[in-house]
Amino acid sequence: MATAEEEEDGGGGGGCCLRPFSCEQGLLSRPDGSAAFIQGDTSVLAGLYGPGEVKGSKELPDQAALEVLLRPKVGLPAVTPRLGRGGGAQREQLIRRTCEAVLLGALHPRTAVTLVLQVLSDIGSLLSCCLNAACLGLLDAGLPLASLFCGVTCALRPDGRLLLDPTARQEQEARAVLTFAIDSADGKVLAATAKGSCSAEELQQCLAAAQRAAATIFRFYRDSLRRKYSKW
Amino acid sequence: MAARGVPAEACVGQVVLPGDVLLLPAHPDEDAERLRLGASAAPRGRLLCGPGLRRSGAGLLVTKCGLLRHRQAGGGAAAGGAFWVDSQQKRYVPVKGDHVIGIVTAKAGDVFKVDVGGSEQASLSYLAFEGATKRNRPNVQVGDLIYGQFLVANKDMEPEMVCIDSSGRASGMGVIGQDGFLFKVSLGLIRKLLAPKCEIIQELSQLYPFELVLGMNGRIWVKAKTVQQTLIIVNILEACEYMTAEQRKQALAKLSGN
Amino acid sequence: MATAFKTVEPLEYYRRFLKENCRPDGRELGEFRATTVNIGSITTADGSALVKLGNTTVICGVKAELAAPPVDSPNKGYIVPNVELPSLCSTRFRPGPPGEEAQAASQFIADVIENSQIIEKEDLCIANGKLAWVLYCDIICLDYDGNILDASTFALLTALKNVQLPAVTVNEETGLSEVNLKQKNPLIIRKHPVATSFAIFDDTLLIVDPTAEEEDLATGTVTIVTDEEGRLCSVHKPGGSPLTGAKLQDCITRAVTRHKEVKKLIDKVIKSIQPK
Repeated sequence: MATAEEEEDGGGGGGCCLRPFSCEQGLLSRPDGSAAFIQGDTSVLAGLYGPGEVKGSKELPDQAALEVLLRPKVGLPAVTPRLGRGGGAQREQLIRRTCEAVLLGALHPRTAVTLVLQVLSDIGSLLSCCLNAACLGLLDAGLPLASLFCGVTCALRPDGRLLLDPTARQEQEARAVLTFAIDSADGKVLAATAKGSCSAEELQQCLAAAQRAAATIFRFYRDSLRRKYSKW
Repeated sequence: MAARGVPAEACVGQVVLPGDVLLLPAHPDEDAERLRLGASAAPRGRLLCGPGLRRSGAGLLVTKCGLLRHRQAGGGAAAGGAFWVDSQQKRYVPVKGDHVIGIVTAKAGDVFKVDVGGSEQASLSYLAFEGATKRNRPNVQVGDLIYGQFLVANKDMEPEMVCIDSSGRASGMGVIGQDGFLFKVSLGLIRKLLAPKCEIIQELSQLYPFELVLGMNGRIWVKAKTVQQTLIIVNILEACEYMTAEQRKQALAKLSGN
Repeated sequence: MATAFKTVEPLEYYRRFLKENCRPDGRELGEFRATTVNIGSITTADGSALVKLGNTTVICGVKAELAAPPVDSPNKGYIVPNVELPSLCSTRFRPGPPGEEAQAASQFIADVIENSQIIEKEDLCIANGKLAWVLYCDIICLDYDGNILDASTFALLTALKNVQLPAVTVNEETGLSEVNLKQKNPLIIRKHPVATSFAIFDDTLLIVDPTAEEEDLATGTVTIVTDEEGRLCSVHKPGGSPLTGAKLQDCITRAVTRHKEVKKLIDKVIKSIQPK
């Protein structure tokens, strides 16, 4: 088992590179924008509606009201088995605020934008996969954005080594798991969250690695959109 | 990050992503939005910054994903040329002057409420039809299809439609007759179909006669002699979303052979 | 005049103050509100603390119960945190099931407990596979004026430090547990996590310990939890304005100094109630 894991690391599953990732855009016919993002064996499907009609109390006079629904593969939303009671809500909040930071909501006041994220399979680095799917969903829907973002998960092994885009097992073994949402404009941190404890230097190391990985992901975004538009 | 600050000219026809910064050619007074009356150069107008772009400093900031388009300096408002982003989108956002197909959802006093696929229903006054007066109300029922254009459309106000032009003529607008078939396509396809000398429309028109209404909100209404013929047109137009020009020609050749 | 200006242009009103490196309530940008802590305020609980950060008031009560340990880890007890933001503490909350903010705060506290290892869960086990303590940590906000996470973490830590658990033994013959209420022991607190929250103003300015008003106007928040060794137990930035790594480092540095202030306060309070 251990050797298989090692091989996986060398083959692009870990270390300082990401697991192979791919995406598909516009695969759903009903939503205004949709995207599936697959990171290794973790995959998330995003469906986006909007700018649409807003329900009374949620209406904002100067902004589009963004709502994020994170639906786990099994069980009720916001009660994900692995995350505990508030885990779903906390992630929804993180994804929503990250999207709000890049979405130019002021261009569509008094409207609602709904982002539904359906987890298809979770084999580690779920949050970063959700963030990537959300960003591609926003792009597919053609909503006005100030910049792009991507999610990168980074695990610190017990021996202190860094591991990008860990699998569920690597996440469990890790001393700390950090997830960043990186902005495409200057590579700044839009969102950060951590499991486990680490030192400030380790945090900075992880951040630097995540920023390097983000550049790869943004290149991938550009390539996949080029492919989408080449058919047009 | 690599694509920060690329010259706008180099990106025309390419895919641009939100956050990209496009640098404009160095015409310092373009930004000053003044006419330059140089002795040698032709009078330069202001540069028009179209959908999907915003000004940021001396350049343009892309806010939508799509293909960058450019139109050379012409007359009118876009005397300095225009840049915009052509993006594939499904959701319609009302724009002033757009011709759209709406569905009447309610009659509320003096106005009809029309669903145009945007975030809010548009209002349509019963006086905004050709020849309509306070006495002579147009015959519009809930559920009718309306082809009209936006008189008011901005983010802060309820959109307002009219079915007459500025001289009070219907010029093709109004209630769309009975029968026919309404369906939805992406906004990008509509723009392609509405482009002058669109190949698809020309090829289809050689098949057999039919009536066609294209709404900028992604709705298409078709009516041919028989239901079967109508559905053939619908299927071809829907498939145009995914077919290349080559594939389309083959499909049409097969049909006209029958 | 000033109040009218504040109502009409709250953001501009704040910007004018921040330009002069101070805030409308007289604080500097990096200054916390007056922090007070009262320990053992609920006599019926096994441990409790009331924390005030300016107007923000949070009370934490710890209730200990006995239960069978979880099947997959028979040598561990449970800690069940819950943050409640009832409608009485602010007009922004509606009665009914917990809203997003309350759920996110509960999860944040659960993460802090898990990440910092504030208590070794093995310490809560009484008899392997048979009996263990369950600590219900209920954190209730009484007055909401921003920075609920800092106040909640502080209240939780002091309440846990206040917990006195009776000695429990399992009778080998009968298999029943015997509680000796006369002999009480404090919990072993391994780490002292302290949270420090920042609000980001206009994408660049960082202000510490934001009030509710400041949170609403801010473009983002960051919460950093450190322990006494300066290790990060949690870096929580749920979206909002982007920050550079250097700015994040500034936050961490401030959080470390805040930890020292809070630790001093806790030690003082604990000492003050100890029987002489």
